[in-house]
Amino acid sequence: MTSEAAFPIVLSLRVGLAALTIVVPLGLALACLQARTRYRLRRAVDALILLPLVLPPSVVGYFLIVVLGRRGLVGALLDRALGVRLVFTPAAAVLASAVVALPLFVKTAQPALEAVPGELEAVARTLGLSPISVLVRVTLPAAWRGIVAAGVLGFARAIGEFGATLMFAGNLPGRTNTMPLEIFTAYQTGDDARAALYVGVLTGLSFCVVLVAGRLGPRVLAS
Amino acid sequence: MTGGPALDAHVRLTLGAEEFQLDARLSLDAGVLVLFGPSAAGKTLTLKALAGLLAAVTGHVRVAGATLLDTSCGLRVPAHERRIGYVPQHQSLFPFLDVAGNVAFGLPRALRRGDRVERWLDELGIAHLRARRPESLSGGERQRVALARALAVEPRLLLLDEPFASIDDDGSAVLRAVVREVIVRHSVPAVLVTHDVDEALDLGDRVVRLDRGRTVETGTPLEILARARRVFVRGRIASCERTDGGRARGALEDATVEGPAHLFEEGSEAVVAGTIARGPRASG
Repeated sequence: MTSEAAFPIVLSLRVGLAALTIVVPLGLALACLQARTRYRLRRAVDALILLPLVLPPSVVGYFLIVVLGRRGLVGALLDRALGVRLVFTPAAAVLASAVVALPLFVKTAQPALEAVPGELEAVARTLGLSPISVLVRVTLPAAWRGIVAAGVLGFARAIGEFGATLMFAGNLPGRTNTMPLEIFTAYQTGDDARAALYVGVLTGLSFCVVLVAGRLGPRVLAS
Repeated sequence: MTGGPALDAHVRLTLGAEEFQLDARLSLDAGVLVLFGPSAAGKTLTLKALAGLLAAVTGHVRVAGATLLDTSCGLRVPAHERRIGYVPQHQSLFPFLDVAGNVAFGLPRALRRGDRVERWLDELGIAHLRARRPESLSGGERQRVALARALAVEPRLLLLDEPFASIDDDGSAVLRAVVREVIVRHSVPAVLVTHDVDEALDLGDRVVRLDRGRTVETGTPLEILARARRVFVRGRIASCERTDGGRARGALEDATVEGPAHLFEEGSEAVVAGTIARGPRASG
């Protein structure tokens, strides 16, 4: 395989991993908030978290441009203050992937956190653990299977992202052409062999992800 | 700060739209206070209120002279600073840790591999289980581990929520003896939730009877539990002998037992706590 052919594979994997560095901490915070607290706007926040999962990816891409584009609400500030321009960069592909992977992560991790018996956390508090320590030493270890499954599914969704990435990061060869974008380009130009290569890689990866996520499914805590 | 009664508490809590109101008064000089009452009387809720696990509780909680809750002056010590050990009825061992890891859980990092863990494993008779995971333990073994874990952090008060409920009769009797021994040896005051009369008589120094969230009676186990069952024995003491420890044993003549019909079955043995109402009669 030439380095030019390998580039979309390597880029997709790097984008997926980089997206996870955003999705995991943010997703865990949101999943914990939704699983453990009851507040007035909880349903609205739930709907907001889910939104990228049901919105057309082109709409998600549009929102990203409106917020983080060069003339966007936050993008203009970043440009002026730090000279950072995100549109049509690999970082834009990471952000687009993170936004679409986040709801999948939260919705997989949240039930795992909800399944941790409240008594375990209560006992930990009486043993002298602060709420943060309870989260780190009890809740997360007890829910690790669901959290890892959420991360695996989020990674798969991130490397498979197409529409929002196309809108926000573009399809620049050697720069932002991830595997899904490359499949589209190859198909459009009649290069079936090239399309089949990336289809094969993505299908294989997705199959492994489904297997791993299935093995890590939530288990009833028996203690 | 130490000194004062082992426990002096008055906790109030309203759940839902006044669907359930807890208003429990508890006091204990030393030993074991039994919270006795039917299901949904608010016993577990009271334990959680003492432990600081319920945010909306009002009232006061003083343990061995230390004030842990006094909402009249806005004092509310968080659960993790109360040093109150809690042994719930179910699902309390950390499934991702072995037995030794569970017992060491509340200790500072430096003490987790030290003698203290080994001492508690030995004392509760679970040293041979130290590498086992909770899911491979019996109900009685799990409760011993939970007890060792709660005691390892040297609590000023121990809360036991029906610790014998999921154990068979034999195992329950053995564990009861272990609990009694440990509590006495380490002079840890305890609050025990139960609706089992035998447990209450066996372990309790004081009994608080709760009903629908309210303290309805406080007294010694014999005073409260005899009334709780509402069974009365009437008869004349025909003969008696003094035994050790200032106690006596006697035989009743023409004795009858009165109480709810569902407790009565011919051929079954009646064990009844009661009081002697009158002194010796002049004549039979």
